[in-house]
Amino acid sequence: MIVKAQDFTSFLIKCQQESLGGFQQVIVPRKSNNSEEKQYLFEEVKQGAEPVLDAFRTVDPLRVLFYFSRETLIPVDKTKKRLIVGAKGCDMAALQILDKALINNDFIDPVYKAWRDQTTIISTDCTEISDSCHCNLVGGKPYTDQNYDMNLSKVGQSYLITVGSKKGEEFIKLLKETVQLTQPQGDEKDKIKKNRKSIEARLNQHNAKYNRSDNYSVLRKSDIEGWLDDAKNCVGCGGCTNICPTCYCIIVNDETTGKEFVKVRSADSCQFHGYAKVAGGDSPRHKMYQRFRNRYLCKFDYMKSNFDTIGCTGCGRCIDVCAGEIEFREVVQKQMQLPKAQE
Amino acid sequence: MAQTNPYEVTAAEIYEIIEESPTIRTIRVKPEKSIPFKTGQFIELTVPNIGEGPFTPSSSHNIADEMDITIMKTGFVTDHVHKTNVGDRIGIRGPYGTNYPINDWKGKDVLIMGGGVGMAPTRSLFLSLLDQVDDFRSITFLAGARTPMDMIYKQQIDGWRKIDKVNFLRSVDRVPEGEAWDEEVCLITKLLNKINIDPKGNPVVVCGPPIMMKFGTMDLIKYGYEDCNIYLSMEKKMYCGIGHCRHCVIGEYYACKDGPVFTYDTIKNEESIWE
Repeated sequence: MIVKAQDFTSFLIKCQQESLGGFQQVIVPRKSNNSEEKQYLFEEVKQGAEPVLDAFRTVDPLRVLFYFSRETLIPVDKTKKRLIVGAKGCDMAALQILDKALINNDFIDPVYKAWRDQTTIISTDCTEISDSCHCNLVGGKPYTDQNYDMNLSKVGQSYLITVGSKKGEEFIKLLKETVQLTQPQGDEKDKIKKNRKSIEARLNQHNAKYNRSDNYSVLRKSDIEGWLDDAKNCVGCGGCTNICPTCYCIIVNDETTGKEFVKVRSADSCQFHGYAKVAGGDSPRHKMYQRFRNRYLCKFDYMKSNFDTIGCTGCGRCIDVCAGEIEFREVVQKQMQLPKAQE
Repeated sequence: MAQTNPYEVTAAEIYEIIEESPTIRTIRVKPEKSIPFKTGQFIELTVPNIGEGPFTPSSSHNIADEMDITIMKTGFVTDHVHKTNVGDRIGIRGPYGTNYPINDWKGKDVLIMGGGVGMAPTRSLFLSLLDQVDDFRSITFLAGARTPMDMIYKQQIDGWRKIDKVNFLRSVDRVPEGEAWDEEVCLITKLLNKINIDPKGNPVVVCGPPIMMKFGTMDLIKYGYEDCNIYLSMEKKMYCGIGHCRHCVIGEYYACKDGPVFTYDTIKNEESIWE
């Protein structure tokens, strides 16, 4: 099915205003007014502020809409029915990793699960790339081919709709009540394929100098001196982990004041000095370079063992945010080429 | 798949407090509903409005309606544990993690090394073993503390030593002036010279401060114990207890759900295990 971009945007505003389908909130990417560069932020859709459904990923990861920096686990925080439009491939891949980490046989994070259950996600193809985008280096794609409720691919001034789940089916029914959808002409799929290929080609070209193998197990063997060198500009601010779409480390605080117990989780960062410190003062990672290295090993080695997939989806946000201007792609490539890693 | 909220807390009332040493106390609690556990597993203890921390019960796993927890004053939460009184309400969630496979140890000579407050989790193991003492060939407990005053469970020791099959040796690092001590004065690891156990095929459990765990393990290997039979209680920062928060991760392992009981062969190639 095809929907006109203008019609779709109008529908989103109506959906928000009139709570169509019971959606209490409709969230879309919008261009930031605070930056001369192109930057996109997830915000509630509103009249007069054009959503940017295409382009490239937002500044904040999709994760922060499902796993807030502070949420109450007991009693479980209230969630609401939401529609999120414009999620990109890297964020959708990250959500799959979080699903493994937070909804599994050992335990379920009750608040994350509630947000997942209550949210319909419409992904869109990337039509641009940012300087730090590098999904191609980690086997990702600048579009989503699985796990979406619905996907939109831009063709001219319209979108080709692909439904991917029951929630997607329900949404398209709702959409049809207000908006006239048309049948594809026939050449849309080819056009989309062409766009996807051209974005992928741009990514390949853009990241060619950072090319590396996917044998990340060598990282564990890499020289300590190399890490010392790479970590020298790291100030341990935790920006990289806080903006990472797959980082989910938390601390649990007790905020009980009455008879009922109250447990709150807040975001934490393995880059902080006290992160792994135990009572008595011991810590397995007292030094900054150890914590710096831990992030890389967690992403490329430990998460691979834990979830059968590496923990980086190539969104590049950690590069944009870094106060020390550390180039993540360069560090990974260099560490993998160090002599000990090659042994 | 887990359905209940993993952070659900059971309230418990403190009914007795035993001051074991100037820095270590045992709180004895009655939970509102029983908390069955297997020895070696840990719980998260909440001091309301202060915080929570992971502790291993020090009572036998055959008792689920009451629980003893021995806690050293060494940080924010534990300082507040030391301010609690009889009648106070705390919270417990769990149990979490792996246990000692004591049923695999039937017919064997079991050796336990517990240093300082590391005697707490190993007391749970010891008491659980005693509940079925006939199943084992012998139970040897090597206990260490810095000074006689720091040695915990003083009241129980005479009773334990009367049990057939039990060999209970204690040492202190030093005896300050004015303190009485007529047992060994040496590092706990040196007590290995005082025992005579065939290390082949027999299990040994080590729990204590990191430095003791490290040198204890090295000495046990020298003694002839096999890596796969050395059980280590790796107490890391187990914030959540359920493999969520990642603070306790040792390489690819979670101390909270893959441990805290690990055999040495499992983790010996991971980094910083002794810190």
